Amino acid sequence: MEKNVISLLKELRAYALQKGLQAAIFYHEEDSYLMRFANSAISLNTNEHLIRLEITVYEDKKRATYSMIADPEKLEPIKKGIDIAAEIVKHAQPLSYTPTLPYYERDVIDMQAFDPFLASLTNADRLAYFNQVAQGLESDEVKLSGIFSNGITTTAQISTTSEHTQYFACTDAQIEVVLAHQQLKWEVNAQQSAQAKTDLSPDQLHNDLALMLDHYQHDQALQLPLGKYTVVFGSAALGDLLDFLAMVGPNGGNMKRGYSFLNEEKLGQRVFSSLFTLIDNPERRETFPLSYDLMGIPRKAFPLFEDGIFKAFYWEQDDADEFGATPTGHTVDHLNLAMAGGEYSLPGLEELLAMPRDEDILYIPYLHYMNIVNPSKGMITGSSRFGNLLLKKDGSIQVPYNVRITQTFEDLFGENVEWLAQEQTVHNTSSSYGKRNPSAILLPRFMCVRGIDISHSNSSY
Amino acid sequence: MERELKQFIDQTMAKGATYVDARWYPFEESNSLVMWNGNLKALNASSESGVGVRVLYRGAWGFSASSSIGNLGDIFDKAYDNARVAAERVTFPVRLAEKDALQASFSSPNAIDPFAVPMADKVAFLQQMDAALNQPGVIQRITAVEFVKKKIIFLDSEGSQIEKTIIDVFPMLMVMGVDKDGGMQRRKFGAGRLGKTRGWETLDTEFFTAQAERITRELNELLVAEDCPKDRRSVILLPGIMFLQTHETIGHALELDRILGYELAFAGGSFVRLEDFGKLRYGTPKLTVRADATLENSPGSFGYDDDGVPAQNNLLIDKGILVGAITGRQMVEEANAKARRQIFEGSSGANRATSFYRVPIERMTNINIDPGADGDLDDIVKNTERGVILDGDKSWSIGSNREQFHFATEIGWLVEDGEVKGVLKNTTYKGETLKFYNSLTAVGDERTWQVEYVNNCGKGQPNQIMQLGHGVPVCRFDDVTVGE
Repeated sequence: MEKNVISLLKELRAYALQKGLQAAIFYHEEDSYLMRFANSAISLNTNEHLIRLEITVYEDKKRATYSMIADPEKLEPIKKGIDIAAEIVKHAQPLSYTPTLPYYERDVIDMQAFDPFLASLTNADRLAYFNQVAQGLESDEVKLSGIFSNGITTTAQISTTSEHTQYFACTDAQIEVVLAHQQLKWEVNAQQSAQAKTDLSPDQLHNDLALMLDHYQHDQALQLPLGKYTVVFGSAALGDLLDFLAMVGPNGGNMKRGYSFLNEEKLGQRVFSSLFTLIDNPERRETFPLSYDLMGIPRKAFPLFEDGIFKAFYWEQDDADEFGATPTGHTVDHLNLAMAGGEYSLPGLEELLAMPRDEDILYIPYLHYMNIVNPSKGMITGSSRFGNLLLKKDGSIQVPYNVRITQTFEDLFGENVEWLAQEQTVHNTSSSYGKRNPSAILLPRFMCVRGIDISHSNSSY
Repeated sequence: MERELKQFIDQTMAKGATYVDARWYPFEESNSLVMWNGNLKALNASSESGVGVRVLYRGAWGFSASSSIGNLGDIFDKAYDNARVAAERVTFPVRLAEKDALQASFSSPNAIDPFAVPMADKVAFLQQMDAALNQPGVIQRITAVEFVKKKIIFLDSEGSQIEKTIIDVFPMLMVMGVDKDGGMQRRKFGAGRLGKTRGWETLDTEFFTAQAERITRELNELLVAEDCPKDRRSVILLPGIMFLQTHETIGHALELDRILGYELAFAGGSFVRLEDFGKLRYGTPKLTVRADATLENSPGSFGYDDDGVPAQNNLLIDKGILVGAITGRQMVEEANAKARRQIFEGSSGANRATSFYRVPIERMTNINIDPGADGDLDDIVKNTERGVILDGDKSWSIGSNREQFHFATEIGWLVEDGEVKGVLKNTTYKGETLKFYNSLTAVGDERTWQVEYVNNCGKGQPNQIMQLGHGVPVCRFDDVTVGE
């Protein structure tokens, strides 16, 4: 497989050199499978096999890109793509800086995140997994939804600056299971991320769903009064918060453009709770790492926040070129975020619900449709979804309707952080807009924060 | 190619499929140009082609797609096999609403094909706009334009063959600056179209220059403005935010697949129930909403959907009462059966896929609000005691059943006793969908009606981005929470 891809790239490089071009060529291949469930049936069973090529031609301070979904057996249209990029770059306007052409110092074949067993999952395997998760949980009123998405993503890169090729392959699976009441419209869910087949554990999802289902079917529902609450965020909610934080906070280009709540004066300062440590860690296979970025810079562990102290902005190449910074190996399609756990042992949902408490605690497992209200203040908003619970201090549990929070990152990760679960899990953050790009965050199973303001509370499910 | 596709459709039917269709994209091209502070950050061109095949077998869907079309039979076989496995878990066998078998074609209206325009002219347009945006107070300026051209050939086992050629142009201007309190403010123009076409000619330089001057002026007003007060007031939504309000809390809420629970794993559901059609008071009698896929100059118009059903103009909300939904062939059959009455007479022609490698799902067309009889913006302001005029989408967040929402807008203007008193920054408003539309107290007339488009509506798994439009007037809603 890799021989064919590398051979194709070398042939295209030779063609570009023959034309006297300076160019970088990126290859992306996906073999994607998705079984989608709705109303307790398979509503869609699909697969796509797509090969994309992206060709960027450089001419001094000018740059132009041609991308295509290609058939590698037909070389001429691909070469024509190089010709098109070479033609349109003539019309580009020079940048105010010199863009860096990728340089690949050595040949790389990186299969660290590839698992042949996950790669060979069948339709029958996907269906069996879902049947096992849902066994005994569905009824006339409670219906199953969800997805089992898995695939193989192969990427490779070459440029005219060297003859070396860098080749990466990884496998991934993203599973989301939802049980929803047809009439009452409540929903509970459970998720799993897998890089290898051994990561798949349908029993774990089954047990979590059964527990949530029991509470949603039997405990008292309520509209939560507005006000401040001690909130335990589940890993899905926490993962999405971290995803937003990493996007708008420590991104050097965003900072320079004024689209961040962080600035250079805050480097080395404590901005969050001392419990908060977040690293971009490409050594964790669960987060689908690649060993080099798109520019050929080795990916290394890169602390963003350590014990609440803001450690560094990360720089992708183009921003670094524009603002005179040093690139940090972050010209990537996704980060490999890993948030450190705390000291509070809480391995799972069952233990969370049983933990002793001297106040009411709101459990929010998932945040739906988050958005950035004010980037300068680091303010985000989102609604809870998929299974809020109110853990009463007397040990009982109630089921609150969905609520909205509109808070700053400081509210969420600052001094109000009460504790973090010691145990970590993986939250899959992949989205399949456009090309397949598996991504995930390693993070504590739960984070407890005081003083979270509930600004809206639904009056029904 | 068409003959080969037809042969494979027939062969797949002969194996036991009950319906098969194929969408062949001979080409889909795009040009994308982004100029940021005078730097041509992106000068991108792209092309893709391939085939997507959908097979219905014993009431279940299978789909397969590939860019490698050397072995078409393999794509059909995979789609068939996927359907056979899906048929092992069926609770409501898929049935498709009746439609006519059509031999038809559609071309979106354009005077000048943007792909016939030299790239140098496209860059020159960006340079001209960048210069217009380069004014005091502006620290970030972005000019972007995307051109899309695609041909889609649809064939199905019911005898339809439809060819579509669609051209669209998506321009955008944006400026940003730092306000007196150190916060970043922005203003953008997302381009309602002039005229009735969708080609290069829509980039009217004079019109865009005027818009560039307006947004830079408004940005400078924002930089010295006061914060939006925390209050309950009337909000007067200009088309630049009313389109998104409509999109998120009417459009998505009325997609029939969401109502029937087909999007619960990701996008979410809807507060609307099947029993609501014909009787739910969605808004005041001033609210009439339609799904109009026949609007000439909008990306929400496409001639025929990806079920092969002709574009239509249907009422969704009639004088405040919910009467219709956004539908394809599958969902109307299921909805009617589950409701045990005929709510829908047939598909409304709104099943669309974003590309050859995605399966069609219910998508908005042009979800429009009819103009009202409350005059123009000045008239509405004169009749407002305590309000805020709002414009420009900045952030949006909506409950999973579309039952509640929170929006931040780029700019606001305080209204007191029928007069505009000044500009406000960091404006937000929130509400509950039904309460909100039942507080609609003024709808502007045709002078305020404007088509805005959305070129990045996300939905589905695998995720799909779709282009569509909203024709909306200025609307006023009373007693709304602002500034939180």
